[in-house]
Amino acid sequence: MSIFLNAILGQFLVIAVTVLATFAVTLIFKTSTTTNFAQGSIAALGCYVVADLLNKYKVPVYYGVLVGMVVGIGVGLVVDLVIFRKGRNVNAIGKQIITMGLVSVIFGGIPVIFGSPENIPFAPFYNYMELGAEPNFSFALGGGDIVISKNGLLNLGITALVITVIFLLLRYSKWGLGVRATASNEFTAELMGINTHMITAVSWSIAGALGVLAAAMYASSSAISPSFMTTIQVNAFLAAILGGFSTFYGPIIGAVLIPLAASLIGSLNSVLVSSGGSSSFDFARWSMIIVYALMLVAILIKPQGLFGKRIAKKV
Amino acid sequence: MAGLLKNDYLKAVAPRPPAGFTALSRLKKFFAQPANQFLILGALMLVLFLLNKINSNLVPSSIINAVATTFIYATVAIGFCLLLGYSGLASLGTAGFIGIGCYTGFYMMEQAGATYLVALLTALAISLALGIVVGFISLRIEGIYLAILTLGLSEILRNLLMALSSTIKISLANIKLFGVKVDDKQVFLLIVFMFVVLLILTGNLIKSPAGRAMLAMKNSTSAAQAMGISLMKYRLLAFVISTVYAAVGGLMYVMLIPNITTSTSQLFTLATSLNILAAVIIGGSKSLWGTLAGTFIIYGLNATVLNRIAFFSKNPAIIVIVTGLLLILVVMFYPGGLAQMVKGARAFIKRKAAAIRRRRYGDED
Amino acid sequence: MATRIKQFARDKGKGIKFYFVSALHRHNGGRARLYRDFAATRSLEIENKYAAKIDAFDYNLKREQLGAALYDFDEETAFNTAVEPVIARKKTALRLKYRARRETLKRAVTKGKITETAAAEALAAAEAENERLLGAFRERLTDRRRAAFTAEYNAARSSAGRLSADDFDAAKTAQVLAYAARQKARCAQKKEVFVRRNSARTARYERREARYLNILRNTETAVSVGLDDGAVLSVRDLCMYFGGIKAVDGLNFDVRKGEIFGLIGPNGAGKTTVFNCITQFYKPTRGEIYFTTKEGKVILLNKEKVHDVILRGIVRTFQNVEVIKEVSVLENLLISAHRQYTSNLFEQMLHLPVLAAEEAVIKARALKVLEFMGLLPYMDWYAFGLPYGVLKKIEIARTLMNNPQLIILDEPAAGLNDTETAELSKLIRRIAKEYDCTILLVEHDMGLVMEVCDRILAIAFGRMLAIGTAGEIQADKSVQAAYLGVDE
Repeated sequence: MSIFLNAILGQFLVIAVTVLATFAVTLIFKTSTTTNFAQGSIAALGCYVVADLLNKYKVPVYYGVLVGMVVGIGVGLVVDLVIFRKGRNVNAIGKQIITMGLVSVIFGGIPVIFGSPENIPFAPFYNYMELGAEPNFSFALGGGDIVISKNGLLNLGITALVITVIFLLLRYSKWGLGVRATASNEFTAELMGINTHMITAVSWSIAGALGVLAAAMYASSSAISPSFMTTIQVNAFLAAILGGFSTFYGPIIGAVLIPLAASLIGSLNSVLVSSGGSSSFDFARWSMIIVYALMLVAILIKPQGLFGKRIAKKV
Repeated sequence: MAGLLKNDYLKAVAPRPPAGFTALSRLKKFFAQPANQFLILGALMLVLFLLNKINSNLVPSSIINAVATTFIYATVAIGFCLLLGYSGLASLGTAGFIGIGCYTGFYMMEQAGATYLVALLTALAISLALGIVVGFISLRIEGIYLAILTLGLSEILRNLLMALSSTIKISLANIKLFGVKVDDKQVFLLIVFMFVVLLILTGNLIKSPAGRAMLAMKNSTSAAQAMGISLMKYRLLAFVISTVYAAVGGLMYVMLIPNITTSTSQLFTLATSLNILAAVIIGGSKSLWGTLAGTFIIYGLNATVLNRIAFFSKNPAIIVIVTGLLLILVVMFYPGGLAQMVKGARAFIKRKAAAIRRRRYGDED
Repeated sequence: MATRIKQFARDKGKGIKFYFVSALHRHNGGRARLYRDFAATRSLEIENKYAAKIDAFDYNLKREQLGAALYDFDEETAFNTAVEPVIARKKTALRLKYRARRETLKRAVTKGKITETAAAEALAAAEAENERLLGAFRERLTDRRRAAFTAEYNAARSSAGRLSADDFDAAKTAQVLAYAARQKARCAQKKEVFVRRNSARTARYERREARYLNILRNTETAVSVGLDDGAVLSVRDLCMYFGGIKAVDGLNFDVRKGEIFGLIGPNGAGKTTVFNCITQFYKPTRGEIYFTTKEGKVILLNKEKVHDVILRGIVRTFQNVEVIKEVSVLENLLISAHRQYTSNLFEQMLHLPVLAAEEAVIKARALKVLEFMGLLPYMDWYAFGLPYGVLKKIEIARTLMNNPQLIILDEPAAGLNDTETAELSKLIRRIAKEYDCTILLVEHDMGLVMEVCDRILAIAFGRMLAIGTAGEIQADKSVQAAYLGVDE
């Protein structure tokens, strides 16, 4: 029992990061009808800025992350204004390729700007904020120790706050209405007097900012490199598909489910061992395969995603 | 001068020969056949190989290696070209399919001790089955959803490879090819041979009813069905071809670069799928020559040309940036890729020539 | 339970055998038909090829003769023929320059930069200059070329053994006649060999087709429904519900052989849904659709797959033109003949002769259809960017490629102007007559429907209002009410 609980509680950081990345991907998909492959690398670029500020210039963490997010916003805006707006007649696949080109440019650009910067040391937010020496809450429950990482909790809290604010904006602000209209049909929305240029620009900048925030969180558990967000990004795409692109909350639920499921399946071995049995099957090694396979089956059964709506096509 | 005069006179009196019976038009007809073009490509590569064998200063081995790499990825890319350009199906699972080819080759040739031919057949069988599965998925899910789903499948395959074996390592000394022991030079010939054969088969296929049926399916599924084209048959076919080609590419890759670490190799990640996609788009998704050119730009240009330029060899990061920018610019301004560019250039030359002729001869008003 | 499983297995077994045998029957039948059709196409091809060869030889001979004549006689004429075109070209070039100058001057005058008289003077000067230049060019050219010509002429003269023009003529004419005779003989021989081989092939496939047909007769159970007096299509109690919406609700009608049958109704009456049910794009919620094939067999369409409907002889067009934009018009027609190809994937990948034969036969048929529709000039054009009227015609042409029993036209006049609509009505009648088929059409253009249709069915909200001739429909009260509303 405690193993399962720990498996869930240990995933707070990854869940927080995946949720942010997924939301960014969904926002871009809905407003610009493309899957943004550069999401991860824009985030990595911002993260390099944050790392430099925090480590080299000893800027306080709040300002450092804020500046990083501003960089993310800037890159997002540049991408939308300079590239996407000029290429409005590019089809969906073409837009994907453009984002891939961006990945290339950023991958090449990072070493040029930051030197040769693999493995920059990056402590958890919790340490930077100096919220206490003890990194974990731990207490006994049901015959085992429950450990909650304070950093994970902090990050999850930040994520929940940010996502809630954006959801409220989507629901009640004029911008949110514009986003929903653009997502449903960009052309009609434009005809109805919605400034879709503005909508996409704001969406790209929000996506950039969220990406950098996610990267800065994730940097504490993974070495920074231009491609260190790739796995998260792939999971984000899959989460978005699992939840269904037609809503905003579906992908987020997907983003919570995927790391949880992986961690739970991965913990099966130690559960079996602790309950006296033994297993010849290495669950930890196969956990991602099982999760992806389960997801594939789920999507095959519900092609529009778990929370998606079916759209009929007229002949 | 004298010959000119006679020709002027003849042209004035008997202006045009019947079509198809001059030496030039016969030559044109010969070169217009895609199969002949591909054979010539193969012959050129053979010449390259021989030149390298005679004197490695003439054609350095690095070029031979780059060509081999390009051809391997181009094999994958032409399968993908059929999928994307002709059937309108997007897939990001290419890397996984390549991985299957790699692992099958490794398992059969290294661990089971089979010959190349048996390994090839096994890889074909496995990828065929995989292609059928993905094809069935594509009947239910379309567009970008399909792309991301295949990405998931590719991730499964990558994780599977990592779970199955940490390194994929082949010693060429154990492999017999048609009864002959091979070294890495002969692997190049094998790659060229396989590539040219697949190129010819693909070229024939896209000019046949099946290719047209795929195009019909891409443009309008309902019209295609009303014309008697079975969506299931051709979607399965498209996916089977793309997975089979990818597996063949993987099999050849493992022979060219016989030591791959599954957990760190970029080959099985999203990057490869995206690069293949980019190659096809840059080249022009409906042109085999374009696809080859696109693959060369992404995989071959670096080793053959850019590395010889001092500026680029000092700053390898710049190459990556340039490739990225090139990708963005091509997609933004030439959505049809290099093939469209060449077509445009040809039309431009034709237009200019017509204008010159008009200026010279004038038209009556 | 066990007996039910056994029964299921037996049915399935029969089904599988039926499936394979009918596939083999269809394949062999297709091949037999192919080689029957191929005979004519290929013979014509061979003839054309040899005719072209003789032509080419003839042409080369003529060139030779002319070349000989150049050395033989009339130096002056030959020289002039060669030089005059060059001078003419130069003249045109100068005139173009002059014209351009004239335009510039005109513009300058309108802008008020120079006076009109000054312009006229400048123009006159330009003309004089042109004359001078041309004269100089003629002189220069003549001098230069004369020297060259003389040199060439003398060289040719001095070369020994050249025939005189007359000798040359006689010798060469004999040669060309002999050549032509030889080619004709070879052509005949080739044709004979081809015909012999082809008829053997045809006979072989016909034998196989007959064999499989025999087996089929014993296994297939035909639908035992008699359709009344030669109905091609019989729709019985057709219902199509989308969730709670009843798009079509209990529709009954028959379409007779050879008639042009119209289906009308206000927007949202369910007309296109009926079409989609017939062509199996939608699977009806309830009801049967029976159809008589060209062979006179009655089948239940509900059981067919959507892409197999065309095999039974039903082809359709689409409301919002679904022409394949990325291929040429000709290829569009080839695509619509997709099910007539019998070559399998390997034959296609290797481009074996059977594919070439099929392409030749089907291309010939496509050309015939294009000619019938007046689309020949557009043959090699890409469908992308063609005018709407042409696209509509391509759609109809596509249906004709399949020797159909029933053509279903979904709003063929939508988007056409009055003249085009008038043309269309003529075309529909011509198609029904020449291709011996039945036509079912949905249309909003009442003029077209009333003019062209033999019988009309009016529906509203998925139910039948009235059926009958144009006059009867126009007089019907319920139809008027549906279209115009009811006076309170």
